[in-house]
Amino acid sequence: MIPQTNIAPEMDTVLSAPVIQLKNVSKSFGKNHVLKDFNLDLNKGENVVVLGKSGSGKSVLIKCIIGLIKPDSGTISVLGKNIPELNHTELDKIRAKVGFLFQSNALYDSMTVRQNLEFPLRRHRAKMTKSEIDNLIIEALTNVGLAHTVDMQPSELSGGMKKRIALARTLILKPEIILYDEPTTGLDPITGKEISNLMCELAKKYNTSSIIISHDLNCVKIVANRIVMLIDGKCYAQGNFESLKNSTDKQVQQFFQ
Amino acid sequence: MKLTAVRNFLNETGDISRFTGRFFAEAFKPRYEFAELLRQAFFVGYKSLPLVAVTAFIMGLVITIQSRPTLVEFGAEAWLPKMVSVSLVREIAPVITALICAGKIGSGIGAELGSMKVTEQIDAMEVSGTNPFKYLVATRVMATTLTIPILAVLADAVSLYGGYLGANIHGVVSWDLYWNQVFDTLAFSDVLPSVIKTFFFGFAIGIIGCYKGYNSNKGTEGVGRSANSAVVVSSLLVFILDLLAVQIIDILRLT
Ligand SMILES: Nc1ncnc2c1ncn2[C@@H]1O[C@H](COP(=O)(O)OP(=O)(O)OP(=O)(O)O)[C@@H](O)[C@H]1O
Ligand SMILES: [Mg+2]
Repeated sequence: MIPQTNIAPEMDTVLSAPVIQLKNVSKSFGKNHVLKDFNLDLNKGENVVVLGKSGSGKSVLIKCIIGLIKPDSGTISVLGKNIPELNHTELDKIRAKVGFLFQSNALYDSMTVRQNLEFPLRRHRAKMTKSEIDNLIIEALTNVGLAHTVDMQPSELSGGMKKRIALARTLILKPEIILYDEPTTGLDPITGKEISNLMCELAKKYNTSSIIISHDLNCVKIVANRIVMLIDGKCYAQGNFESLKNSTDKQVQQFFQ
Repeated sequence: MKLTAVRNFLNETGDISRFTGRFFAEAFKPRYEFAELLRQAFFVGYKSLPLVAVTAFIMGLVITIQSRPTLVEFGAEAWLPKMVSVSLVREIAPVITALICAGKIGSGIGAELGSMKVTEQIDAMEVSGTNPFKYLVATRVMATTLTIPILAVLADAVSLYGGYLGANIHGVVSWDLYWNQVFDTLAFSDVLPSVIKTFFFGFAIGIIGCYKGYNSNKGTEGVGRSANSAVVVSSLLVFILDLLAVQIIDILRLT
């Protein structure tokens, strides 16, 4: 009944162990069963897009991966460590290597853009000098094309600018893995496309692997090596853009119209 | 109907106790957030100092003016400085300071942490290798606990000055005589307990503000509710603690 369009990731080399591996992850809030035995592998260098309806549990899924939400059962291995079993210190070590872009941006609105970007640096890389930090901040802001906003408050920025600053803050630690929660939602098609291209560039430049949550088909088309459909708490189908687009399954079809 | 209200009250009391327990478990272990603590203490002092000073001044003035006729009736006008200094230092200045801070600082903390919660900024801190409980809650609670006593002592001084002016509106009390009388009357056992209780006021204001903000429900409406109930609960708690303090001081015969 479930069409598993099982297409191997479009990669030149299928590398050894996956950097993220979810096995039978379940999570419910009271009677609301959000994830049911969800499985997912993310290989090194791969960009996987998770597609699913609003409220289907996509944000819950990646919050489980970063350890903000504890799953009820199942294992989540990130860079070889099982996240639900880690203590605070061990989690911080993993989190220094995993970037997380929040759906709501989560910029600290009591801080300037510079302080926002400094925060993760000072926390995860205690031994940096002032000039090293400044250089990284300028580099990160230039990457998203917003170097001039460095001394502004988040409240002075437009929605799209906030999204790009949040992206810069996520990327400033040069994470090995990036989890994007709707990176292009609420942006105009042009900026959305720029962000999508930027995500691809960065993935190539720093050899990152990422999980991207998105409804934006233009973005999905550009960034996805593989698409996973999250329906009813399960991995309903997966494959590359073309194969899912041409799928005859009704539930899959709905997303590509 | 009534039963659920009782149950909610007990639930919340339990939650606040657990939150307080977590504060003691986490606040005194490294890593210490000194820079943030100083910043918060500065904010608490800076934000409320003008309001505390003005209110304390007016209270000193008004209490003196209003106590005067009664004392004159008994021919005890000379006792005016004695009487007002005791009521100002023991009761009025500390409680007024705490109430102003409950309104200004408590609601501020509740709203700030509440909006940080609903916009995922607290989660973002956690992901950035920071324990948000330490960084946000522990620093704020310590800041209010340490700063509100200082504000209260300042309020003592300003309200006594208000008392001096009040005593001179209708009568004549020289500057030296006024302060001599005040310091004759005020014993260590007046000042110390009243300063000690302000530490508890400060702690209560910080903990309630943080608890309400940190456990804010989703949405902007939840933020408003957090700020509002932070003020209500911490003001009430200030009075309850004041009542307890009076009883304890009385039992210890410190008065
Ligand atoms: N902290 C929480 N407590 C209770 N229920 C929650 C919590 N977080 C999420 N949920 C529930 O889990 C379900 C999935 O939420 P989630 O935020 O993951 O959706 P989503 O797929 O990201 O949707 P969207 O595309 O709108 O962002 C929703 O029904 C939501 O009500
Ligand atoms: Mg979401």
